Amino acid sequence: MTLQEFVLAGQWVFLAYFVGINLGYLLQNVIAAHGIRRYLQTAEQYEAENVFSALDIPVSVVVPAYNESASIITSVKALLQLEYPQYELVVVNDGSSDDTLEKLINAFDLQEFPEAYRARVSCKPVRATYRSTRIGNLRVVDKENGGSKADASNAGINVCRYPLVCVVDADSVLQPDSLRRVVRPFLEDPTTVAVGGTVRISNGCTVHQGFLEKIGLPSNFLALVQVVEYLRAFLFGRMGWSPINGLLIISGAFGLFHKETMVEAGGFNPEAVGEDMELVLRMHRLLKAKRRPYRITFVPDPVCWTDAPSNLRDLKSQRVRWQHGLGQALMLNKELIGNPKGGAVSWIAIPFYMVFELFGPIVEVAGYVFILVCALMGWLAWPEALIFLGLAIALGVMLSTSAIMLEELSFHMYPKFGQLGVLYAIAIIENFGFRQLTAIWRFQGLVRWLRGGKHKWEALTRSANLADES
Amino acid sequence: MEWLLRSEFDGLTEIAIWCIKAVMVTTVILFVYTMGLRVATVTGAQRRRNFMARWRDVFANAMLDPVAATELRLPMVRRGDRIDLLEEWNRARSMVDGNAIDNLILLARRARIPTLAKKRFHGRRVRTRILAVQTLGHLRDADLRDEIAELVSDENTALSITAAVALTDIDPDFAVGIVVPMIASRRDWPKNRVSILLREAGSQRISEPLYRVIRSADNGDKTYMLQFARLMESGTLDALLNDLLRENEDAGVINAALKLVRGDRSVPRIAALTRHSDWFVRMQAANVLGRVGQQEHVVLLETMLGDPEWWVRYRAAQALTRMPFLGPNYLRQMRMRQQDRYATDILQQAFAEAGIA
Repeated sequence: MTLQEFVLAGQWVFLAYFVGINLGYLLQNVIAAHGIRRYLQTAEQYEAENVFSALDIPVSVVVPAYNESASIITSVKALLQLEYPQYELVVVNDGSSDDTLEKLINAFDLQEFPEAYRARVSCKPVRATYRSTRIGNLRVVDKENGGSKADASNAGINVCRYPLVCVVDADSVLQPDSLRRVVRPFLEDPTTVAVGGTVRISNGCTVHQGFLEKIGLPSNFLALVQVVEYLRAFLFGRMGWSPINGLLIISGAFGLFHKETMVEAGGFNPEAVGEDMELVLRMHRLLKAKRRPYRITFVPDPVCWTDAPSNLRDLKSQRVRWQHGLGQALMLNKELIGNPKGGAVSWIAIPFYMVFELFGPIVEVAGYVFILVCALMGWLAWPEALIFLGLAIALGVMLSTSAIMLEELSFHMYPKFGQLGVLYAIAIIENFGFRQLTAIWRFQGLVRWLRGGKHKWEALTRSANLADES
Repeated sequence: MEWLLRSEFDGLTEIAIWCIKAVMVTTVILFVYTMGLRVATVTGAQRRRNFMARWRDVFANAMLDPVAATELRLPMVRRGDRIDLLEEWNRARSMVDGNAIDNLILLARRARIPTLAKKRFHGRRVRTRILAVQTLGHLRDADLRDEIAELVSDENTALSITAAVALTDIDPDFAVGIVVPMIASRRDWPKNRVSILLREAGSQRISEPLYRVIRSADNGDKTYMLQFARLMESGTLDALLNDLLRENEDAGVINAALKLVRGDRSVPRIAALTRHSDWFVRMQAANVLGRVGQQEHVVLLETMLGDPEWWVRYRAAQALTRMPFLGPNYLRQMRMRQQDRYATDILQQAFAEAGIA
């Protein structure tokens, strides 16, 4: 192959990738818009009659915590005020080296309790179980450090008593009615085994006593870009996969699971970097192997607000971890790839994730290098190159605009006109630098996965939103 | 050497330019649509707030005073406010009881709410039809009773359950005859909503129809319907449970029936069920023995403390701590003599929960 042939072949690969990924996103957008419209109509109908006003599936909320001393009390107090008729709260202290446990014991008058512990899914040994003498639905499990959120979550699952388990991050801020919203698919369709909801960015919002008081946009540029990113990722990324039962991820920050199916699948994998995605894939695999009808669903309602990384170090660490987790989760469940009985998961969702999400960064980074080399060698026809660059940017802006439109159509959480203006500005600006940077970090994550890197609980710089007020 | 892109992509470049134009136009349309939505939301919310504020005062006065309901000057209702009026009236109507309901119905007639609801009953939007059906139910307006009865079998969950509730409000005897036989086939109806409907129809009215439906249903439907049996009159319920526990061998049915047992009529049969092959039947049997068991069942429950299933052990331990004739000393001795670690652990947990040192 001559150099000219090689460069020409490269052009066609990049073009095919470009067309494929954008067509995929456009299709997801259309499916999501239709799905959200239908969802809102039904929600409106149910609300009109108050159909699900008093729900009857009890939920166990599991909160894994590692060195959360600064915010654990506020988080637990907020979680104890969720609007739901019957739920229990199980906080798992994963062998914190700070005073997380002591703070919990003092704040909620916990007493050690001889729980007849059942190890249904594997995790590090439990040292003690505590029960609050004041709050009947609060228990705290103290266990040896397992080094991961997955291990801590498994200990929580082992002591849960209710048929649905909701795993939430200790630093997440939940909507008071979040459980009521995510439980709806379980009531509508008894084959539902897992439900995820929209996660939003809490930076810039006012949080009081663990509850969102006022919704705002962050002043930090990186956090601001992530607001638009999350709108895209959840409102059409996830919502686009849900109607075809092809959802592969339920965010670790907030997910509701059918406990018995979760236990049958073996719980969270403590070795997995992206334990949330890995569990969802394993549930798909298990249920397809058993030929059991099931639904893994997504509700577009904003149910959970999370702190986004606001500096480059944390953001890079997060993106590298996500990419690593994606590769690992897909490989751990490789039986699903091209499985003749795998349906949309095996034939649409996983191929899309493999080509565009997992290996996409290789093509994207190679594309930047390719353009750079061609430009330096004087091979680049600038007008044509700029036209394609323009198209890529225009498509990016259109997809973000569409996500903002879906948000306005559904939940309009950002009430000021100025906030809408900022979101549109970000939809344009993010194409110059931010997207390229994340492509490089994702590429690094891919390399880390291929080299078999390990993952542990990570301490990220947090905003003061949830700090205990004492 | 400018062959890259240009040499191969001449046609494609043309397409790309057209794509850019199309994408930009779409983006602008999306932007304008979003802004339009925002303007409509803000102005709509403001208009609604003003409208509601005026009518809330009227409803509040009418609820307390029948004279006010017939004589108060009513605020003007524009075409665009009619749905809001129906919603607000229904909200007010759901919150009150007794005479206030009659006052609100009086007021509704003056505000032409029945006519507004009937006009919307045949509309195309499901949301509006639901509101119309709900309003007619709240008004106890029987003009469209048979048409509402037809809607009970509509595919749409929200519309059909609303129709069932409205029918119960309008004519409970007629509604029970239609709704009760349909419950088993309408698993999409939220159970809590069905319970409320049955409770509002009254236990006297529903007991016999429920008894007949449950007796003649297959095991799957029996299990499902038993969830609502607690709303029956106690005599009919006892007879039903006794019959089912005596005659039926299906684990699901037995389990559902055991959950409802309150009297000691079926105790010998329940004691036998503590050895059932399905763990959830054993668990429910232990539970029932905790409520109605006698001294002779203590040994049985003690054996269950070593059951392979955690929930059976847990319920057996709880049952023992609840039996009024077993004192703390007896229970402590029982724990001392256990050889099985499962039994000791579970008794320890149950004691801690019951506050037995």
